[in-house]
Amino acid sequence: MNYKLMLRMMGRTLQVEALCLLLPLVVCLLYHEDPRPFVFTLLPVALTGFLLSRIRSQSTFFSREGFVIVGLIWMVLSLFGALPFWFSSCFGSFTDCLFEIVSGFTTSGATILSEIESLPRGILFWRSFSSWIGGMGVLLFTLAFLPKVGARNHILVQAEVPGPIATKLVPKTVQSSQILYLIYFALTFVEIAAFLLAGMPLYDAVVTTFASVCTGGFAVMNSSFAAYNTACQIIAIVFMILGSLNFALFFLAVTGRARQALHSDELKFFLMAVAAASLLVFLNILPLYDSFGRALLDAVFQVASIISTSGFCTTDYNLWPPFAQTILVLLMFVGGCSGSTAGSIKCGRILLLLRCSLRSLLRLSHPRAVKVVKLDGKAVDEKTLNTVFSFAILFFLLLGVGCLVVSLDGVSLTTAFTASLGCLSNVGPGLDAVGPVSSFGRLSCLSKLVLSLYMLIGRLELFPILLLFHPATWEHS
Amino acid sequence: MKILIVGAGKVGSTLATYLSQEDHDVTIIDNNDAAIHRASETLDVMCIKGPGAAPSVLREAGAEDADLLLATTNMDEVNMLCALTAKRLGTKYTIARIRDVAYTDDLSSLRKDLNIDTVINPEYSTASEISRLLRFPAAANVDTFFRGKVEMIGVAVREDDHIVGHPLSDLFGKTRGILFSAAERKKEVIIPNGSFVPQAGDTLYITGTPKDLSAYLRTLGRDLPKIHSVFIIGGSRIAHYLSKLLLSMGVRVTLVESSEAHCRRLSELLPGALILHGDGTDQELLASEHFTNNDAFIALTGRDEDNLISSLYARQQGIRKVIAKSNRENYTSVVRDAGLDSVVAPKLLTVERILRLVRGLQDKSGNVMTALYRIADTDAEAAEFILRDTTPHLGTPLMDLPIRKGFLIAALLHEEKVIIPSGSTVLSSGDRVIVISHGKGIQAFTDIFQKD
Repeated sequence: MNYKLMLRMMGRTLQVEALCLLLPLVVCLLYHEDPRPFVFTLLPVALTGFLLSRIRSQSTFFSREGFVIVGLIWMVLSLFGALPFWFSSCFGSFTDCLFEIVSGFTTSGATILSEIESLPRGILFWRSFSSWIGGMGVLLFTLAFLPKVGARNHILVQAEVPGPIATKLVPKTVQSSQILYLIYFALTFVEIAAFLLAGMPLYDAVVTTFASVCTGGFAVMNSSFAAYNTACQIIAIVFMILGSLNFALFFLAVTGRARQALHSDELKFFLMAVAAASLLVFLNILPLYDSFGRALLDAVFQVASIISTSGFCTTDYNLWPPFAQTILVLLMFVGGCSGSTAGSIKCGRILLLLRCSLRSLLRLSHPRAVKVVKLDGKAVDEKTLNTVFSFAILFFLLLGVGCLVVSLDGVSLTTAFTASLGCLSNVGPGLDAVGPVSSFGRLSCLSKLVLSLYMLIGRLELFPILLLFHPATWEHS
Repeated sequence: MKILIVGAGKVGSTLATYLSQEDHDVTIIDNNDAAIHRASETLDVMCIKGPGAAPSVLREAGAEDADLLLATTNMDEVNMLCALTAKRLGTKYTIARIRDVAYTDDLSSLRKDLNIDTVINPEYSTASEISRLLRFPAAANVDTFFRGKVEMIGVAVREDDHIVGHPLSDLFGKTRGILFSAAERKKEVIIPNGSFVPQAGDTLYITGTPKDLSAYLRTLGRDLPKIHSVFIIGGSRIAHYLSKLLLSMGVRVTLVESSEAHCRRLSELLPGALILHGDGTDQELLASEHFTNNDAFIALTGRDEDNLISSLYARQQGIRKVIAKSNRENYTSVVRDAGLDSVVAPKLLTVERILRLVRGLQDKSGNVMTALYRIADTDAEAAEFILRDTTPHLGTPLMDLPIRKGFLIAALLHEEKVIIPSGSTVLSSGDRVIVISHGKGIQAFTDIFQKD
């Protein structure tokens, strides 16, 4: 394995992290807060990044290295990223800091904090900004805007961008990454502007945008989105949905191929899921509400928030009837579209799994039947389908193991299950003791570490992190 | 006319046969020694060996002053290049065979860019021919005229049909909107008149609008229910085009193909069809898929023998409409006797189409021939023409026209209205007419009139 190149890549990424840390530092200075947590972090990050990036290496690497680099980089990034929290001494233990920053980078939005509003603004900024960085992928950023390190960048992109099949927008990986980031920037600016117009204060608008366009879910208010007016909530719904769409669709739309973009099976499935779930939830919760409009808004907001794997809330859905809660839990499995900032299994995979299963049924009555499984009218090869099936099996296996670990803390089954699912799917909050208005703070240290790992596993779509634990990865290297 | 044929394959050599018989100067170009040898031995044509798309070879064959080039090699790309090069060299009219599914969607722009005058796709034509047969399950064959407004169907007369033993003049009044245009009796085609008496075993060719034809078939007691499901064996290009046509008509399609990779490709291109991997002649497979529950069985494998035998089997198992593809004329009569009435021959369809084009090209009187069909693989033909101002005898009632024996005007389209002609019908400029001819090889519309 090309360790030197891996270290060099890591150095580059840490340099990017150092750059990113400058922003919260500026915020600290603007609000006259103590800048030391960031200064203390910046120095080691920048230094390590500088030293590592000077390592000379050959530029070739293969698929295995690609996956391992991505897995390791995200871990190291999180370790360094937790330092500002640790130095700020607002958090109990380093495990808590780690949990919080991993939750940020992976755009989960699960928090161990129960009191948010009293935290320094710089720290909250970093917490949400980490989501924004992690949403599109820090490696993608490195590829897009820093000089080339190695050949075969597409391997890295494949490992970091979610979805069963990574699509290239243009022939060059670097340009593809730049386009993705430009779309991301554009969405961010538009959302900030929209929030400002709707009357949100500047700081809230910026920080909330960072946490929502990436479908993260960190709020700056204890009551999450319930603290803002209806207009802000509608804007959030729109951008959570936009963030869950395949960014390639925006590229197609901007380049005048909107019709092609609308032909996506995954998009149709996603929008139908949102509409159907919203309707069902709305009908189920209507009796709890006096106002028709409020019930509708809460239903749509919560559905959009969960399916986009954000995890914001406008109401405590812990108090909703079991039917509505079950729908939300089911949506946690679905997630957004491939190539978006959302997590979980994703609509593309769900569609493929459904179509594969239907094919198995067909084969029972017609044993000789040959049927290719298609996505957007194109046949998906059996190898990809196999990977999708493995993905689903591993997802459920991990979910079970996570549930077991959390249940050691003596919490209810609902808590254990939704905590594990919420982290693995990058939604964040679950139900019961880890519900929208509660926090993960009371879980044990072991649970928090395992769930942190789960968030990373979920964000990188299982394989890069799991590969680190597979013996074949380290053989003959 | 000076005609170049590139590729002496099945279609190429059959065309050469017909065209040289019709007194054209035919030159065949092929890269294969054996093919050239066979052609020069059996046909009165000139043969040139070499790659047909090469300008030097085309020049040697006389492409500069050729009237027509037919590119019928087995490679679409070579055919396109042949047509393009020949046109550059000065050939007046080019026809290229393009049959790959990948090209069919963009055919019109491809044709324009490459400056090809006519593109023929035998597989597609065969598929649409089969789909027409399926629309009239009672008919052994169906030909269309006037862009689908009029059809000519062939119906085998049975012992118990009420028309048996009665001269056609007796049926007058019961046959509104239809015309008995031709009859095939013991491999001979007769152009019937009022005294013709249908017998069991005859095949009657009836012309009319699809609606009137269905109505008449009902009075004959042959109104078979519509075809709702079709079982196809062999995943050839014809099968692909046909399945696509049938699926768009809402027909259920089951397709058996023996190559698994090809099955996957078909499954991708035909999402609505049930694709089975296996041998279409395997009775175990057919039985397990309950193939007798289908309304029609169509055999389209690459082996004509397999097609004919499995069609006979399907017929024996009681499937009511069975169609087989076979290019071998000598087999066709055998299976006809065994009760298989619908056999389609892609090669013949192509040849017919090209002959029609060639004849149309040389009709100096300007009456464009827009369709030509052979009746029952004999020398009888049904041709469609558009009449011009220059056509003689316009405005004269048909009964006063000097029409030669063996010719019949079967239908005309006057101002978009279909008319089954009677003695008082008159022809006018702009009309489309269907002419049935017997043994004369109609070249131009004026052939039907007696020479003064």
